[in-house]
Amino acid sequence: MKRDLLKLEDLAAGYGSRVVVDGLTLTLPAGQIMTLIGPNGAGKSTILKTLAGELAPLGGTALLDGKNIYRMQRRERALQMAVVLTGGIRTESMTCREIVEKGRYPHTGTMGRLTPKDQEAVARALAATRSAGLADRIFSRISDGQRQRVLLACALCQEPRFLLLDEPTSYLDLHGKLEFMELLLRLCHENGMTAVMSIHELDLARKVSDQILCIRDGRADRIGKPEDVFKGGYIADLFDVSLQTMQRFGMEYLCGQPQEGESEE
Amino acid sequence: MQSRKRFSLILAALAALVLVLLALNVCIGSVPVALGDVLAALTGSGQGTQADIVMSLRLPRALTALFLGGALALAGYLMQTFFYNPIAGPFVLGVSSSAKLALALVMLLSLRQGWLLTSPVMIAAAFAGSMASMGFVLLLSRRVDSVSMLVVGGMMVGYICSALTDFIVTFAADSDIVNLHNWSRGSFSGMSWPDVGTIALVVSLCFLAALFLAKAIGAWQMGESYAASVGVNLKRIRLLIVLLVGILAGISAAYAGPVSFVGVATPHIVRRLLKTERPGVLIPACSLGGAVFCLFCDLLARTVLAPTELAISTVTAVFGAPVVLAVVIRRRRGQA
Repeated sequence: MKRDLLKLEDLAAGYGSRVVVDGLTLTLPAGQIMTLIGPNGAGKSTILKTLAGELAPLGGTALLDGKNIYRMQRRERALQMAVVLTGGIRTESMTCREIVEKGRYPHTGTMGRLTPKDQEAVARALAATRSAGLADRIFSRISDGQRQRVLLACALCQEPRFLLLDEPTSYLDLHGKLEFMELLLRLCHENGMTAVMSIHELDLARKVSDQILCIRDGRADRIGKPEDVFKGGYIADLFDVSLQTMQRFGMEYLCGQPQEGESEE
Repeated sequence: MQSRKRFSLILAALAALVLVLLALNVCIGSVPVALGDVLAALTGSGQGTQADIVMSLRLPRALTALFLGGALALAGYLMQTFFYNPIAGPFVLGVSSSAKLALALVMLLSLRQGWLLTSPVMIAAAFAGSMASMGFVLLLSRRVDSVSMLVVGGMMVGYICSALTDFIVTFAADSDIVNLHNWSRGSFSGMSWPDVGTIALVVSLCFLAALFLAKAIGAWQMGESYAASVGVNLKRIRLLIVLLVGILAGISAAYAGPVSFVGVATPHIVRRLLKTERPGVLIPACSLGGAVFCLFCDLLARTVLAPTELAISTVTAVFGAPVVLAVVIRRRRGQA
């Protein structure tokens, strides 16, 4: 029996005094992937920011390996958990290696000098994400898919046990999405990493998740295995669309179209 | 480790250039002084007007240009990194203008009240003014998401301060604000040795502090959220950077008046030269680069139209403004 790495007890997440999502209770065993799905503005990012310790919980607790995430020392938290943020890096001439090296932050001393041990960790992270060939390329001049792999390497070289990913596949093309997911699956199911990510692509969520958390109207609407969550008309209802499942090339695809009538956005 | 060798080489070259320019600034002028006489003056064995010129005029001035040039460029680098904006700089974000406003207020007040306006008071005023505008821009940055709007906001702060200064000056007697006029021309001249000592001490301390922030700045470059996620204390680093920029920009405004473009342009030239964004390399490189820039410009300001002296900003603008333009054009092209 694997132990639970992440444990949420009646967690309320939000900004200031405004609660966005309330009453989250769940456990995530080590080595599993949990995805957050739900309409835009449902509070997926708010939950991730709270899990990252960036926002204070407005109620309840979030425990990582039994320790309160928000109360942890900054460095200790960074040694346990890495966050993969999409976009927002404005660099001109940084090489991918320099980007990945930033992940060693919690491991290095006051002046941030990299020891041979740090260099090894950087090389391992680059290799694990198949980015070794990108190491000396300029980060701003590679493709979105390559960039996402480098950012994952940056998170890995922090040597965390727990990964938080905010819509890691949003800017990727189909090849990039599939490649990234395969990478994540391998990391979690083979190397024991645990991951929580928000995602828009339902097909991908169904494929990679051990658990899916559906957010609607400020609460956890449903939590469960993909096959349970995707049962019946639930997903269509969650996103307010009419959905059909299509069989092609031996795989199932979801095809949707907006419901007639008013939309929420 | 190829790049590390290249960084050390360029840093050493910049340091050597600083020394060469320092020597040139001391030797060249209406009265040429040979290097040997300079050394004699330094060891105290020199005599006559030449030694006097070196020890009481040229050397203090050159050292002021060296340290304040480094201070301005370092402040510019920190601001550009802090705001994720390539055209941020002490002059652009209204720091000099608010320092001037504070100075004008203090000058008038001291005249009215009959206080003696000492240089520590002037420095304190300029420092307070710089910090006030940095604080305001920081507050604005909480409300405004777009960085370009933030720069516009900072410029508006500058214009408002200039307008207020003009307003005050209109009602002041010319003789009361002679000092203000002199100050706002901007110059590295007229420093006493204690002044030079204060400047050197403060700037060196700020430089060391900036070096200790290099690691956190490196994480900050990846965005605030990322920095927080690897363990950077955001509140502390924000406060420290703003404090450093305020002190660096404040001390140069206080002693030398407004000196434009050094802070904006130098970091770009240096980045181009080193082809890196590592804060641990850029902090010393910008400081040295700013010293080179100011020593060079002050030499020109003094000698080109001798015996008439140009305002320092006249020269720095000629060399600095094209750099900023080039940066803007290059970024446009990069985005297209």
